[in-house]
Amino acid sequence: MVRLITHNLLACHAKGCTSNNFPLLFQDAAVELRDADFNADFLRGFLPRLEWPALVGAARQLGDTSLPAEQPDMLDDDFLQKLHHVLLEIHVEEGAMVCPNCKHVYPISNGIPNMLLAEHEIG
Amino acid sequence: MPDVQPATVSCESLQSYEATHVHAIYDEIAPHFSSTRYKASWVGVDLGTGNGKYLPLPADRPGSVWTIGLDRSINLLKIAKRAGDVDREVVWADVLDNPWRRGAFVCISLPSLRLNAQHWGLKRAYQDYAISIATIHHLASPDRRKFAVQRLLEAISPVHGCGLIYVWAVEQDDLSKRNIPARASQDELRSGSFALTGNGQDVFVPWVLAQPVEPKPKTRKQRKKAQTPVEEPESAPLATDVPPQIFNRYYHLFSQGELTELVMEAALDVGLVVGQPPEVDTSGKRIRGLQIVQDGWEMSNYYVELRRWEQ
Repeated sequence: MVRLITHNLLACHAKGCTSNNFPLLFQDAAVELRDADFNADFLRGFLPRLEWPALVGAARQLGDTSLPAEQPDMLDDDFLQKLHHVLLEIHVEEGAMVCPNCKHVYPISNGIPNMLLAEHEIG
Repeated sequence: MPDVQPATVSCESLQSYEATHVHAIYDEIAPHFSSTRYKASWVGVDLGTGNGKYLPLPADRPGSVWTIGLDRSINLLKIAKRAGDVDREVVWADVLDNPWRRGAFVCISLPSLRLNAQHWGLKRAYQDYAISIATIHHLASPDRRKFAVQRLLEAISPVHGCGLIYVWAVEQDDLSKRNIPARASQDELRSGSFALTGNGQDVFVPWVLAQPVEPKPKTRKQRKKAQTPVEEPESAPLATDVPPQIFNRYYHLFSQGELTELVMEAALDVGLVVGQPPEVDTSGKRIRGLQIVQDGWEMSNYYVELRRWEQ
């Protein structure tokens, strides 16, 4: 499953591609929405680990504009619900992720991102 | 924060003493106490997740730990992504790759949190981790096994990251169902260029793919192939007329001390000091290290639990 919680951790790792290799850009993304259990404590605990602008940008690419550009100081329920939806309920089932730097394409099929590299691309 | 004060335990009834000074207090402070535990959610990676067996763990804190499964087998990942009948995050990649952004499994910009953690004596609750269970033994040279350990070390926090590695041991216990055959020949490893060293043993472990058993042979209806793998050839309920397919999986069975040495070598190669963090920081220079928290043999496997530190 490629949810945005995972997208926020992945970067291009092709040979020599070490800068501007995050976040990967979605291409031709087919999205499925599926309910997930809401856990406010988990979300609060996960917030400090997120690259916020990358998350907001990725959500917008997938058509979700509910998150503010700046991470809010007040973590009220309304905000946490939106964060929950963006992080955990949007599944990218098909499509690809493209490196903003070297343009390497990482295909997504059946919800699984293919992060494998060919032998000559391995750094 | 009020000071800690000496307590005098009245000996009349220890039970009622505890009831007053422990149990009643926890009952009273429970919601707040609980909210101070595991405040930061863990994030970890399972390198070589297979069918995702370990992704639902730990079962007692399902919401506070987020583990991403990585594997080289797409078909195992198709199973892993619904491990425990819940949507899991899985990534198709090689354990020799590092497809994560810098600091993906590092709790960044949280000095206050870390301080708070130390204050509560809950350092472990804030650590990020990587596990590699029964995976590294599939890599066919000492160097590749070492690289895999290095990728694991890179994935976790350099300050407090934890790792756990399990590999199969040469020494199998009596209860082990593993059928360890004779040593694999170098030719069978296709390339003769591997420098297979160490006291470990390179073997092929057969996997017998069970063929579907037809309960009603008269019906011509095609049944869905039941591909239930079994660990040992003789136990499979095999159809008599179809020869079972046997797949030989490469394993490097580790000898005593070999995994620990591998981890230490991997750490030294990337410039880490191996051992416990020094008590006092005298030089003012930043030192990064790796501590073997525990290692040993368990149920036919060798394991190493490690922790990274910085001073």
